[in-house]
Amino acid sequence: MSSLLKLIQNENMKIYYRIGTWVMVILLLIAVIGMGIFVKTTSDENDNWQVAVQTDIKRLQAQKEKTESFKFMNEEVLKSYDRQIEIKEYRLANNIPPLPADSFWGFINESSNLTSFVTLFTIVIAAGMVASEFSWGTIKLLLIRPVSRSKILLSKYLSTLLFAFSLLAVLFLSSALTGGLLFGFDSVSQPHLTYTDGAVKEVGMLQNMIGIYGLNSVDLVILSTFAFMMSSVFRSSSLAIGLSIFLMFIGPQISNLLRNYEWSKYILFANTNLRQYIDGIPFMEGMTMTFSISVLIGYFVIFVSLSWLAFTKRDVTA
Amino acid sequence: MMRKNEPIVQIKNLSKKINNKTIIDDLSFELFPGEVYGFLGPNGAGKTTTIRMMVGLMEATKGQVFIKGQSIQKDFKNAIAEVGGIVENPEMYKFLSGYKNLVHYSRMVKGVSKERIDQVVQLVGLENRIHEKVKNYSLGMRQRLGLAQALLHSPSLLILDEPTNGLDPSGIHEIRNYLRKIAHEDGVSVLVSSHLLSEMEMMCDRIAIIQNGKLIDVQTVDDFVGRDLQVKGRFTVVPVDKAKTILETAYQDKKIEVKEDIIALDIEKEDVPAVVSLLVKNDIRIYSVQANAMTLEEKFLEVTGGNQIV
Ligand SMILES: Nc1ncnc2c1ncn2[C@@H]1O[C@H](COP(=O)(O)OP(=O)(O)OP(=O)(O)O)[C@@H](O)[C@H]1O
Ligand SMILES: [Mg+2]
Repeated sequence: MSSLLKLIQNENMKIYYRIGTWVMVILLLIAVIGMGIFVKTTSDENDNWQVAVQTDIKRLQAQKEKTESFKFMNEEVLKSYDRQIEIKEYRLANNIPPLPADSFWGFINESSNLTSFVTLFTIVIAAGMVASEFSWGTIKLLLIRPVSRSKILLSKYLSTLLFAFSLLAVLFLSSALTGGLLFGFDSVSQPHLTYTDGAVKEVGMLQNMIGIYGLNSVDLVILSTFAFMMSSVFRSSSLAIGLSIFLMFIGPQISNLLRNYEWSKYILFANTNLRQYIDGIPFMEGMTMTFSISVLIGYFVIFVSLSWLAFTKRDVTA
Repeated sequence: MMRKNEPIVQIKNLSKKINNKTIIDDLSFELFPGEVYGFLGPNGAGKTTTIRMMVGLMEATKGQVFIKGQSIQKDFKNAIAEVGGIVENPEMYKFLSGYKNLVHYSRMVKGVSKERIDQVVQLVGLENRIHEKVKNYSLGMRQRLGLAQALLHSPSLLILDEPTNGLDPSGIHEIRNYLRKIAHEDGVSVLVSSHLLSEMEMMCDRIAIIQNGKLIDVQTVDDFVGRDLQVKGRFTVVPVDKAKTILETAYQDKKIEVKEDIIALDIEKEDVPAVVSLLVKNDIRIYSVQANAMTLEEKFLEVTGGNQIV
């Protein structure tokens, strides 16, 4: 066990002693601060939120009626309208204003979209994890130690995940700090409204944010694992980065295009966004959270097995 | 030379095929404690491939490698724990300092203290530059750092693929002396590969010649360059044609060359008087006789067929 920790220590040393890693961290910080400044300068003062919410409700009702008149309407879409309307009515009834982007929690919520940067940077690290050792030639010295290849691979994988979650923590903390400094901490104690089991409920905002980050990290973990697998299988970091980023951007579009085919629900990208089951519309009627999680686990097992086979069974000719 | 009975390394019928091409063909040899074993062969002979199989980087197609009696294939961790090595170039993490590189490898074995790291650094003479990033190192300094990481855990077998590549003459001298010292004094077995013949001659106790993946010959260095074995005989004689015919009849398996009035053939030193008396008996006038021991280089070229050496 302690030998695994030492291996992870080694991998971390190799990640954090490279300038490229710190460039990525700084880019992430710049993105958060930039976003803060953008929100600050573009937000307009609107002190009568009740009026705004009422207009929103009217707009949603109109859209709902329009949808109902369609022949092939989707039940899920209607339900989604109902949920939104009910939450907004709850706001009016209980005097809970919605969170604008220029508030503490509002900004954190807004900047959680920057997890795609975290995913991008983690892909770059994951793609180099195995492949770089081959291109540096250091793999030959790494593998002639009294440590099994499986353990070395595991330490590399865990270090990748550690990097991913550290970057996620950097995103959260820098967003909180930027949000607080730019917009004040006034809204800190405000609750978040969710719609569960047919009723509107109040939950803590922190809990809600952790939920959002948790769901975002599903995408993060699965794409990083994919990049890690590519790295191990092809022993080329550029190929691993290229393919993973290509899939990250194109994957969701492709699965949307194939939505009419029943089997498309098994595509990885139809399942990575678990928020679709919480406050969105499922990719396909009949898909559930359990289904998506099972599909994700399936992909995960395949990625990990391929990485392992490629790393432990093949000759090292670098 | 010290030679205890138990070999440190046993290679048994090792073969490697890649894409149906036989790269290593039925190699068998043993290394004993306290000897420096040279692996000599032209480019592409299969030296590095053999080393890769010995350290488990490549799977052997056939055959076995035992290190201190433990199979590298079946008992990798125990077998490799006895080995320190460099395979091809000493490639290190360039963005880390030399010292951090050593710390990195020390974390992968048990029982390497900070003191041991400092000791090894001193041993390879890098103490002034060890905290600099490896990307600023010269090739020779990297070679030294490579040796340092191989020695870190005090292995019983040191495998070095072309260790003197890139070293200056004094560095070569140092390493050569050091390798001989740890072999002869501490009983470490050292396997060095090279195609630098003069190098091997000075460094090794035994030399194995490998060509096209086959082990052609294993000899102790003394035998190899031994004065009492093969010599290049040169006889200045008149008439040269008659002498050639006589010698061709007497030594049918030898290659006999004639250049002007000199007749040359490779023979055992012991046979020189016999050749002389044979020529005298047949009324050949002999003006001079030369019998020079073959250099290792000549021997090597003879064994490998020449030309392919770099
Ligand atoms: N991965 C590989 N795929 C195919 N052929 C290979 C591979 N690795 C080595 N070879 C071939 O095996 C033979 C032996 O190569 P090896 O590197 O072991 O030679 P070497 O004796 O170390 O040569 P050098 O003195 O140049 O270092 C060469 O003919 C080489 O082309
Ligand atoms: Mg070689």
